[in-house]
This record gives sequence, structure tokens and C-alpha cells, in this order.
Amino acid sequence: MNFAEIIFLFIIAVTMGGAATAVLAGSVVYAIMGLVVTMFGVAALYVYLNSPFVALMQILIYVGAVTVLIAFAVMLVGPLYRRPKEWTTAGKFGAALGVALVSLLLFVRFVTETFPRAGAPSFEMTTKDIGRLFFDDLVLPFELISLLIVVAILGAIMLALFARGNK
Amino acid sequence: MTDFLYNYLHVYLFVALFMLFCGIVGVVYRRTLIGMLVSLELIMNGAGLNLVALNRFVSPENAYGTAFTLIIMGIAAAEAAVALGIIILIFRKYRHIEGGDLREMRD
Repeated sequence: MNFAEIIFLFIIAVTMGGAATAVLAGSVVYAIMGLVVTMFGVAALYVYLNSPFVALMQILIYVGAVTVLIAFAVMLVGPLYRRPKEWTTAGKFGAALGVALVSLLLFVRFVTETFPRAGAPSFEMTTKDIGRLFFDDLVLPFELISLLIVVAILGAIMLALFARGNK
Repeated sequence: MTDFLYNYLHVYLFVALFMLFCGIVGVVYRRTLIGMLVSLELIMNGAGLNLVALNRFVSPENAYGTAFTLIIMGIAAAEAAVALGIIILIFRKYRHIEGGDLREMRD
């Protein structure tokens, strides 16, 4: 076991711990912290997968934009200290655990039977290749994404405006 | 060269699977809408990790999985913006954001 593998195991442990924190934390703020830790861990896993561009985009978009949006929502929806705990009843937790365990077993069976346990082939994917793919084969999805973002921005603005108009 | 731990597809797939597991538990178990949104982001992150890992190990000759992960990131940003608009709207109307008490989204 070399040094890179030890770091890899540490990253996996941090990612899983962050995911568990994001689900099981009693307060929303700790859940967001767990989400940030998980996203950094996933970005490090992208680096191990020879995709540094996706790793940087992960940090830029998820950590930089999405979690900040969620943090703003937490700040806008009222005081935290009057909020009850994030947990619901134990029966619901049992149901959630059951559903998730059944799907986990199904997916483990699917994964272990479908994909061969092969080593890594050579993989060199540069940013130039990704850009060429986006502007060559995937032009329509790329433009549709920009259209979707424009529509989402307009929708968010309209939601805020209508809420103010009703009051 | 290929027997390092980070050169196996299954490690990445199981990390993504664990994130999907946590996300499903969170969506069912959380009481506020923000907690559910955090769990949804977890699920989408796991899906992106899955796609990049499969692209790197199964079909390394093209970059479609990586491109699809970037598209997922754009969609997740737009989805988070709209979801937060709806959450703030629900908070202004009902003064709470607990998902179990919402029965209708009319007006």
C-alpha cells in the first residue's frame, strides 16, 4: 500500500462521513457542512479519475454556488433556534432505512454482476477534448442548458415578484 | 500498475452507491424541505461520480460521461435556484417549511 492509496482511503472515508452527516445531523447548518465535505471528497475522487477539469467544476459550481444558495435559503427562512429537530418519527426512519437497504442490495447485486473487475485502461481526457465534444457533438444539449438556466433565473425572479405582489 | 486500489471501478461505484443510499434515507427521513434538497444534491453528486467512473473505466475512448456530468452540474444549479425560490415562497405563505404539513401548492 503506497502513499496515494492511503490518501485515497482517507478521501473515501471523508466522503462517506460527510454524506452520513448530511443526512443524520440534527440541524440544517451541520447538514450543509456535511454536504460541503462530501462535495470536496467527490472532487478529490474526480482527480483520482484523471478528470481534473470536472473536479474544478465540481468545486466551482457545487461548493461555490449550490451550497451558498442553500445557506442563503437557511438564512431567509426564519430563525433556527425556534425550529424543532430535523428528525421525524422512528417509524419513518425504519421505513427509510428499509427502502434504502433494499435498493442498496439490489444495486450491489447489479454492480457486482454487471461490470467486470478489470484494471484501468489508459485514459487521457484533456479539457480540449471535452470542449471539442461540447462544440462538436453535443451542441444542442449545450445550448439547451443555457436556455434552461435562463428560464430558471426568470422563474425564480417571477416567483419572488409574485410573492411580493400578493402581500 | 493496475492493482492499486484507485484503479478499480468498484470502489468508485460503491462510494456513489453509498451516497445514493444516504440520499434516499434523507429524502424520506428529513422533515424540512431544505433537508430534502440537501439529500437530493447528494443523490445527484453520486450520479455524477458514477458517470465519470464508468466513462474512465468502461469506455475511455470518448468523453460522453464527463460531458454528461458537466450537464448535470448545470441542471443542478438551475434546479437549486428554482427549488429555493419555491421554498422561500412556501415560507412566506405558511411560516414554516415542513414537508409533511403541505397539502396543496395552489396559489
